[in-house]
Amino acid sequence: MNVQRISALVKMELKKIIREPAYLFMMLLFPLVLTLSFGLGFATMPSAVPGKTQFEFMVPGLFGYACIFIIMSVAQAFSDDREQGLLKRINVTPTTSGEFMGSNLITYTSLSVLQVAIVAISAFLMGYRAQGGVAGLILAFLFVMILSLCSVGLGLITATIAKSSEAATGISFIFILPQMFFGTFIPINETTRPIAMFLPSYYVTDAITMIFNGVALTDLNIWFDLIVVLVISLVIVIVGIGLFKRYGKA
Amino acid sequence: MHAKIKKSRATDGPEDVYDPEHGKAIIIKNLVKKFEDVTAVNDLSFEVKEGQIFGLLGPNGAGKTTTINMMIGLLKPTSGNIYVGGYNVKKSLKSIKKFIGVCPQDAAIYKFLTGRENIELFGNLHAMDKKELKQRVDELLKAVTFTEASKRKAKGYSGGMLRQINLLMALVNNPYIVFLDEPTVGMDPRARRKTWDFIGALKEQNKTVILTTHYIEEAEALSDTVAIIDYGELIAMGSPKELMEKYESKNLEKVFMKITGRRIMEGA
Ligand SMILES: Nc1ncnc2c1ncn2[C@@H]1O[C@H](COP(=O)(O)OP(=O)(O)O)[C@@H](O)[C@H]1O
Ligand SMILES: [Mg+2]
Repeated sequence: MNVQRISALVKMELKKIIREPAYLFMMLLFPLVLTLSFGLGFATMPSAVPGKTQFEFMVPGLFGYACIFIIMSVAQAFSDDREQGLLKRINVTPTTSGEFMGSNLITYTSLSVLQVAIVAISAFLMGYRAQGGVAGLILAFLFVMILSLCSVGLGLITATIAKSSEAATGISFIFILPQMFFGTFIPINETTRPIAMFLPSYYVTDAITMIFNGVALTDLNIWFDLIVVLVISLVIVIVGIGLFKRYGKA
Repeated sequence: MHAKIKKSRATDGPEDVYDPEHGKAIIIKNLVKKFEDVTAVNDLSFEVKEGQIFGLLGPNGAGKTTTINMMIGLLKPTSGNIYVGGYNVKKSLKSIKKFIGVCPQDAAIYKFLTGRENIELFGNLHAMDKKELKQRVDELLKAVTFTEASKRKAKGYSGGMLRQINLLMALVNNPYIVFLDEPTVGMDPRARRKTWDFIGALKEQNKTVILTTHYIEEAEALSDTVAIIDYGELIAMGSPKELMEKYESKNLEKVFMKITGRRIMEGA
């Protein structure tokens, strides 16, 4: 691992986003608009949970929502670079796969966490108050980080399957939609539960809901969720890196 | 941290790894590459002397890019062996990557970075010392008089400008062996001449250059040795002068015609 290489790659990836207005718009405005729309739309609507508005019920799901979309950004970025011959070009320098993947995991996980931070701040401004204190918030962001890592892994898998960046956008929805519908704020029923069980976002939303509802942080259900989502994410990241190393560069 | 990078370079830089055998920068033995239905490279063998410009000349589809990609480890040969700078590509690609520079046929450039940033990025990927890197980039940009435009994003560059940056990116790490795959395709005649001068000057810096081209004048003007390939096979090799004498031809185009009955640029 060479720090100079990793930091050069991270800087390059960040410039890609900052200098591309469309990317930057997606990254910053999307979580803001998302939260504000849901806040305005559902703040006064009562939810199935007594004493909670629909918006309050939805906020933990919005956290997951924000990190799911990074799948598409990663898949597009990788397919674009591959089409331009840049992955091959990096491949003939002494850069190792570990350094290359590491820098991408760092960049996109950070961006995803930043998006969730925007969701959190906008929700706060809309009057949402989470329980669980600072420790709860930190634990919630640990879940967010793991889910983001997982999304980067799914983005890599998408980039490997897709032969072009247009295809990458389409294929990424295979991973985005189920996680969005069955793993965030849409209530789970008996039919959708077997699907949700395989979705990392389901466990993250479940845990963040408990944390923000004031369930004790020592509650084993939270830690069970953490272990499950950690294992799923590790497997996906390892599979993603492996597939991409083998088939994703050419 | 700087001291650490310096130290790692002192034991791990290109100069500590490059170790050609008996002045041979590259040795290729019985190289074959088959894709599903085409044999792109068919039993190719040749050697490249250190400090030479070695031209691989052949029509489009002759197998030039495929050969280069096997030399730099991007493609696995179906059979045969390649040694670059004394190392077997199959076993020691990691060492080879430290002392080579590659200019791909299709310009591979980050469009949202400036020309300078693109070159710098690849210097950083070679873990070059920051100060040395800045000097090197200045020097390269000056050599092709690209100083002003290098501060603009590559998105707005013309095809010829992209090709120039593409070439400079391959040289930032001061490589011992440089692979240039059709470096002047799409340049106007003036830019092409300028680039020829630039490539010719690499020889004075003791670099070995592997240059593929389907431009006859380019191969004639630059190469110490030319290998003419057609359908993945070596059909003639020697200095341009030797080849013209041997085949009693005025230029390499006529040499190619005498051997194959076709023109190099046909259908290109
Ligand atoms: N990835 C590939 N799959 C199938 N055929 C290929 C592939 N790459 C190159 N070829 C074929 O191999 C031959 C040589 O191609 P190439 O090395 O690109 O030629 P050149 O660089 O001399 O123009 C051509 O017939 C080309 O169509
Ligand atoms: Mg070619």
